[in-house]
Amino acid sequence: MAVITISRQNGSLGDELAEYLAGKLQCMLITRAYAMENFFSESDDDVSEKLSDSAKFFLSEVPGEGGLTYKDVLTQKIKKMADESDNLIVLGLGGCAMLQDREDTINIRVHAGIETRKKRIAKRYNVSLDEAESTIGIGDRKHKRFVSIVFGEDLAENKLYDITFNTDFLSVEECAAAVLALIGKKGARLKISEETQQNDSFDHQTSTPVFKNDTEAEFAKILDMYGIEWMYEPKTFPIEWDEEGNIKMAFSPDFYLPKFDLYLELTTMEQKYVTKKNRKARKVMELYPGTNVRIVYKKDFQELVERLKMFGG
Amino acid sequence: MSMILDGSTEIKRIVYDEQAIASRVKELGAKITEDFRGEELIVIGVIKGSLYFFSDLTRAIDLPIKIDMIGFGNIPDTTSKTGVVKITKDIDIDISGKHVLVVEDVIRTGLTTAYLIQNLESKKPADITLATMLLNPDRLLMTIPVKYYGFEISDSWLLGYGLDRKEVGRNLPYIAELARKE
Repeated sequence: MAVITISRQNGSLGDELAEYLAGKLQCMLITRAYAMENFFSESDDDVSEKLSDSAKFFLSEVPGEGGLTYKDVLTQKIKKMADESDNLIVLGLGGCAMLQDREDTINIRVHAGIETRKKRIAKRYNVSLDEAESTIGIGDRKHKRFVSIVFGEDLAENKLYDITFNTDFLSVEECAAAVLALIGKKGARLKISEETQQNDSFDHQTSTPVFKNDTEAEFAKILDMYGIEWMYEPKTFPIEWDEEGNIKMAFSPDFYLPKFDLYLELTTMEQKYVTKKNRKARKVMELYPGTNVRIVYKKDFQELVERLKMFGG
Repeated sequence: MSMILDGSTEIKRIVYDEQAIASRVKELGAKITEDFRGEELIVIGVIKGSLYFFSDLTRAIDLPIKIDMIGFGNIPDTTSKTGVVKITKDIDIDISGKHVLVVEDVIRTGLTTAYLIQNLESKKPADITLATMLLNPDRLLMTIPVKYYGFEISDSWLLGYGLDRKEVGRNLPYIAELARKE
């Protein structure tokens, strides 16, 4: 599950990226037009015009909404949709500021150099480069002003974004591939975090995997070679406690494969010495129902390394 | 029995002879026929190892199935020293919304099978099940949907009926155990 916000400059391909991702993820795309039509449909034409023209008007109270402002209603509706949808994309509308406190959100900024944007706008609307520059200037100021007035944030602040694309030399498809990969990785990490809140295991995820030995690094390469997504030691499972409830023994399997919901523990020791690891793995599966742990024996590892060196059909 | 196949490959014994294989394939074919009756089934063989099993199994399935083959190999990649596994021969049939049966010669760790499943899943089939001639359940690392298998094997080195040793021995009509010379 992912909630994506896209903040973009005019002519940066941000709109195209939003539409492309909505198609790929088969999810709802919230644009300004959608918000006006669906969130404030009962407003009269005068209100619609003011919402369209004036950022300040978003801070006015909505009649009959118990003191809520248009900004509050917009935020509430979008947050509710984010809670209830598997995937959701918010284009503009200050989504990056509105949803910045949500961990499941990926905030994207799409920009491009002024010359690139001028050419794109001129071509799209069949106007001169000067006219395109003027349109871009107005758009940039309006975007900046809206987010500043309504949410008190500066669109230029890097802190608002998880990922920023300069599309001078990147296509929509290339940007989307990066976003989709990020969704997969982040989704797997959040799933582990949520699980650890529901049972006695610990979230053991670090920002950078530091392998304990060469075997683990080599195994990660093998998984990469097969395009199998992995996480390194993301979770620690307590498996023995003393009388006072203090943890006596815990087990942190080396790899987790989100796609297969499977933990793998590597051992390069001879098989007769791996009894202890087997016992720990069994205990994890007993204490944490639904958790799959497999041991990768020395023989399996060697065979996989052989395949890595000399791949055969 | 001991037979030298080439300079470095010696056959120790025949584990499954032609008759045992034919009989087991017939049973598997009948089971698959029963399980998929009335359904649209596409059977995909994995090049090259499953060639003979795929050929015999598909003829033992008494349903109007469609068949295709898929192959993969290690391709150099600019972002990795080891290269990446890529499809070298993709399927030609549209499998979206269809039942797919992938046919392998042998599944040990299941890593290559997992790769294939990931790839085929991106084509949105209704479901994917697996059939393999040989399965080593003790060494299976991945949680993959193996529904049909011919024989369970242990860690012995096997050859024949599609399985090779340095590309030799695939065309043997039986499955044999190799002497561990290397």
